[in-house]
Amino acid sequence: MLRVENVTLNFEGLIAVNNVSLTVQANKISGLIGPNGAGKTTFFNRISGVYTPDKGSITFDGHRIDGKKPYQINKLGIARTYQVINLFKNMNLLENVMVGMHSNLHSNFFSSMFKTKVQRAEEKEALERAYDWLKFVNLEHKAKNLAGSLSYGEQRLLEIVRGLASNPKLILLDEPAAGMNSKEKEMLHDLLNKILEKKISILMIEHDMKLMMGVAEYIYVLNYGQKIAEGKPSEIQNNPKVIEAYLGGE
Amino acid sequence: MKLLDKFKMEYIGKVGIAVFLLVLPLIFHAFNYDYGILICCFGALYVIAVSGLDVLFGYCGQISMGQAAFFAIGAYGSVIMHKYLGIPVLVSMIISSILATIIGCIIAYPASKLVFHFLSLATTAFGEVVYQLICQSPKGITGNFTGFFTDYPSIFGYKLNTNIKFYYYALIMVVIFLILKSNIIKSRIGRAFIAIRENSHAANGMGINVTKFKVMAFGISAFYTAYAGGMYAHLTRFISPETFANKQSVMFLTMLLFGGTASLGGTVSGVFVVLILNEILRSAGRYQLFAYGGLLLLVVVIFPGGFYRFIKDFINKQKGGTKDAEG
Repeated sequence: MLRVENVTLNFEGLIAVNNVSLTVQANKISGLIGPNGAGKTTFFNRISGVYTPDKGSITFDGHRIDGKKPYQINKLGIARTYQVINLFKNMNLLENVMVGMHSNLHSNFFSSMFKTKVQRAEEKEALERAYDWLKFVNLEHKAKNLAGSLSYGEQRLLEIVRGLASNPKLILLDEPAAGMNSKEKEMLHDLLNKILEKKISILMIEHDMKLMMGVAEYIYVLNYGQKIAEGKPSEIQNNPKVIEAYLGGE
Repeated sequence: MKLLDKFKMEYIGKVGIAVFLLVLPLIFHAFNYDYGILICCFGALYVIAVSGLDVLFGYCGQISMGQAAFFAIGAYGSVIMHKYLGIPVLVSMIISSILATIIGCIIAYPASKLVFHFLSLATTAFGEVVYQLICQSPKGITGNFTGFFTDYPSIFGYKLNTNIKFYYYALIMVVIFLILKSNIIKSRIGRAFIAIRENSHAANGMGINVTKFKVMAFGISAFYTAYAGGMYAHLTRFISPETFANKQSVMFLTMLLFGGTASLGGTVSGVFVVLILNEILRSAGRYQLFAYGGLLLLVVVIFPGGFYRFIKDFINKQKGGTKDAEG
């Protein structure tokens, strides 16, 4: 469903991503791993439109999305979370999720200003849906709390659910388990499967190998901006190039 | 039961405020203090202007140091249209506000790429450009430095020719503008504004067209402030450039910051506190700005959430209640 072909990105001569291709298949979890500074997050930013490509193409669901802006890509059905938590800290949990629904809501300036019947109905429904999404990650008891007051792990969950609220076909998760305790990680494992059940595909960056190997069906490995390996988790674990990249070769 | 009591309290409070606002000018009138009514009229129009700035700065997080320009466009636009084209005052006020909105959107489009100090510089410059234009207008249609006189507003031949009549008109307008503002803020649009203020990067990633919504916020603030400008012109019935200098923009911001951003109570209390101080300090002349500076410093150091939040928290603390996070 997502096809990235020969994508290259350089920052004033520094090549951050070099000629990388990958595909994400529908209803599967794909993983992206690599040592720190390998270019994973940069790669994500490319897919979600933060950077426009120097070279290569990105196709999603039959649409070329390279060169499109982040909000347009979100509308086409790719949601994302961030490595550094990017919540709306002074909004409550419900509002955060409702911002996530932005692309799905249709009330415009005038219908909002005059609170038309249609707009009120839409808002009411959105609020209920937001509440359901919070239940999905067991945060409904904190619905009216400010996002900034949550624990780190909870903030990660809220970010995921905020992304899901836009009804995406694909969600990009950038280190969802970072900062989570082991109990929260187990919950995340279940959550990922629950997301798949909703027919939402996942492309995930993660340093926690136990989690990654447990859930991902196909893994890509980046190092110094280049793809050095791809394959099923078992293949990746035994790939000498990958071991060299992580542990350092001779 | 407790909920019902709370509801009742709120209801009584609201009715109380409404009755107070309705009889206030009559009280002033009874004591033969017409000036008090005039101050309330000014207060009302400033509430509208500052609410506009609040949408832009308080909710969307975009600073504008050039609000006086929109105030001027509203005032001069309405006066000029009334004078040269004979358009009835209330209609000319609306047309000039729409004009200001269009200009605001045009300015906002390139300005939406700017943040913080760059945006304040750009908006300051815009304010200055408009100020210079009214001072030295082509063919002197604005009356240049001398300014000119104009009429009271009238509705279907009924002239709002006393301060009391104007007060009730202004009160109605304030209520309308505040309700519309509150509707916008509590909608998808308002959430987009706040999301941009909180984290524009993430807002973009959530499907919000940041440029579009920044332009919209600028447009709304321009409309509000311009309408207030029109009200100002037809309340004082005399306008001259000095009202629309940079000082006015600073005053709007002072009112907003002093009262507290992103809340209704903050806007209203900020406007009236600064307005009353303004009257007290009238004799201080050029030291007024010094007082504003002091006020702003006070806000930043002692109550960063604004005067209104400070009072509210204080009352809650006395009651032993929890802090109100919504404001």
